[in-house]
Amino acid sequence: MNNLMVFGGSSHPSLVNKICANLGIKPSQTKLGKFSNGETSISIGESVREKDVYVIQSGCGHVNDNFMELLILLNACKTASASRVTAVMPYFCYSRQPDIPYTAKGAPLISKPKDSYTFESSPGTPVSSVVTTQRPKSPAENAGSNLTVLENVRSPKLPVLEHPSPVKSLGNGELHKSPSQSRIPMVPERKENSSELGSLFNANNAGYKLWVAQAGTLIANLLTTAGADHVITMDLHDSQFQGFFDIPVDNLYCKPIAHNYIQYNIPEYKEAVIVSPDAGGAKRAASLADALEISFALIHKEKRSQLPKGPPDASLTSGGGATVSSKPLISNMSSLSLTSQEMKLSSSSSKYVQTTMLVGDVRNKTCIMVDDLVDTSYTITRAAKLLKDQGATKVYALITHGVFSGDALNRVAQSAIDKIIVTNTVPQEKTVKFLGKDRVHVLDVSSIFGESIRRIHNGESISMLFEHGW
Amino acid sequence: MATNSIKLLAPDVNRGLAELVAKRLGLKLTDTKLKRDPTGEVSFSIQESVRDQDIFIITQIDSGVVNDRVLELLVMINACKTASARRITSVLPNFPYARQDRKDKSRAPITAKLMADMLTTAGCDHVVTMDLHASQIQGFFDVPVDNLYAEPSVVRYIREHINFNEAIIISPDAGGAKRAAALADRLDLNFALIHKERARANEVSKMVLVGDVTDKICIIVDDMADTCGTLAKAAEVLLDNRAQSVIAIVTHGVLSGKAIQNINNSKLDSVVCTNTVPFEEKMKSCPKLAVIDVSAVLAESIRRLHNGESISYLFKHSPL
Repeated sequence: MNNLMVFGGSSHPSLVNKICANLGIKPSQTKLGKFSNGETSISIGESVREKDVYVIQSGCGHVNDNFMELLILLNACKTASASRVTAVMPYFCYSRQPDIPYTAKGAPLISKPKDSYTFESSPGTPVSSVVTTQRPKSPAENAGSNLTVLENVRSPKLPVLEHPSPVKSLGNGELHKSPSQSRIPMVPERKENSSELGSLFNANNAGYKLWVAQAGTLIANLLTTAGADHVITMDLHDSQFQGFFDIPVDNLYCKPIAHNYIQYNIPEYKEAVIVSPDAGGAKRAASLADALEISFALIHKEKRSQLPKGPPDASLTSGGGATVSSKPLISNMSSLSLTSQEMKLSSSSSKYVQTTMLVGDVRNKTCIMVDDLVDTSYTITRAAKLLKDQGATKVYALITHGVFSGDALNRVAQSAIDKIIVTNTVPQEKTVKFLGKDRVHVLDVSSIFGESIRRIHNGESISMLFEHGW
Repeated sequence: MATNSIKLLAPDVNRGLAELVAKRLGLKLTDTKLKRDPTGEVSFSIQESVRDQDIFIITQIDSGVVNDRVLELLVMINACKTASARRITSVLPNFPYARQDRKDKSRAPITAKLMADMLTTAGCDHVVTMDLHASQIQGFFDVPVDNLYAEPSVVRYIREHINFNEAIIISPDAGGAKRAAALADRLDLNFALIHKERARANEVSKMVLVGDVTDKICIIVDDMADTCGTLAKAAEVLLDNRAQSVIAIVTHGVLSGKAIQNINNSKLDSVVCTNTVPFEEKMKSCPKLAVIDVSAVLAESIRRLHNGESISYLFKHSPL
């Protein structure tokens, strides 16, 4: 490997070592540290003149510090006359700045503070009778595992939409107080600041006033400014992100190793179902399902405005509001034979209903959820619960970037997920320690990164890495 | 001043200086929301329109979390830029990474240049800063940089608080000689210099005094006090040379690491810093610290910038 140098940032040294082992070289000498006032200090211990330099830094841990360290490393190599500097970011930070939540009519959606409702806010599952007959008689038996909490959902069965009894609102209140709630994630907006923004909307009572920073282009420009000539990353949250750059961006996929893992480690995978826990990841999940030639299901979260314009409390007191609001949903869905779980947001100021729909059949099947990123883990834990609720026998979660911030690991530990498969784009030692080796499997992506660095250095094509079986 | 076309922004932490400046200008800080992930990623929103407005973002960079503050500032600038602000001025009284301004050894990064590029890339049209570690940093920018001086405020402080007839101005290293000499000229005082051989950053080695300080009140002047090791050592050297007492006046009181401990254990009478860096918390644990308020200078410079007037008056005079 002539003229090739690999530098590692401080975010993920073990991955750096593995990638270098793959390339058969040693990571180059750097000294990384901080001045006492918190400024990042680096020094490069080897000459990089006319070299092809790769700097590996994952966007994990303390993001801003690590990102700044990457920028300074890139800049130091560039100013030290490196011939080409490539930023290798296994997990690309700031890649999922949310879109401004607009409705079809152009007004931003009105969201609510997190703590005012929970997953179980709505007791029954108001579904059409057609769908009800499809439900398993005793999903708990199928589920097998420790899912006692699910009783909350099943017990107040109110399948007939036209008669939402007062029990509904009563159960609502009880559920809020019930201690068993602790196991159930607060619902919530997965996109971190939508609830925050929501409260802003409410506060101003005017949807239009919103200026949200979209950091995507900024991060891209900063990397270019620092001197990056090329960026390598994996499973970008939005593939459009590549367009923010003026330099080439190679977006690698972990699909080939995921494919491998499913083929060799999941028993009778041909009978399994690939599930996307939200609509945004449907394409990613569908392509994996296609490659494996197995079936595919989708969980769709939807927030839509409640149709009646009457006082929001009315639904709680009269029990009529929920029915009206769910009607159009059902009329859509029954024709498509969907199963739906509708959660009416319980607080009196609620303006819209949140719906979680499962599209596809998972009864008595093994489910493999596929997503690119788990941060708070609300989405996958809730999705896992829904899947078990619908009769799935076993739920796997296959995640590219397991960031697991906050108390995400606790939530996963108590969730219905039987096994979580995650790659080491972000260090996973803590995850393995917390959840135990039986529940976590870490896929190693260093070979993909190593091979891509080798090919890019030699000027070969890397599109072969996108396919299975290399 | 037309209040409808200017907006002052500040991040949600370290708003002290920004609020003082806003008060002086008779304006209110614009409502903003800055939200941090558990991992530290920030997202930002402004609650008012900034279209075609003259934006001033006042940021105090405190020690320890420099990178967080920098990224927050960049996100704020970019948010204003994409929201069609007419002009974005970043008011950065203590410029981060100002000390990494040259390639002092092979393959060292010039991070100050990188900072300059990043600010411009984010969309900054103008930078206002104070007492840059090296004024050459202005040349790193493609946009105008106004480097204000704390000197007029320092001169006033010395005139008001110190019996300056018996005083002598000391530069703690050769690099700061010019700054100290200028101040000595303004006050018509004598000037001495301490020469040191620095082994590594944040560490002090041998010190030699050049000049006579016998029975004088020594005023050590520097642009930045970090761990205060240099200041403490300098005070000892001065007292060994029969100085009457020693105080230190620095522009940027970063005061990181063991600074408070060093000051408390030192023979310095007091350490006076301007409020470019927030250190209210540290003042509680260190009675030797005192503060010079520079919000008037910043406020006046913002007023003049907004109205398109000259700033150079502020280089020599400190507004009340």
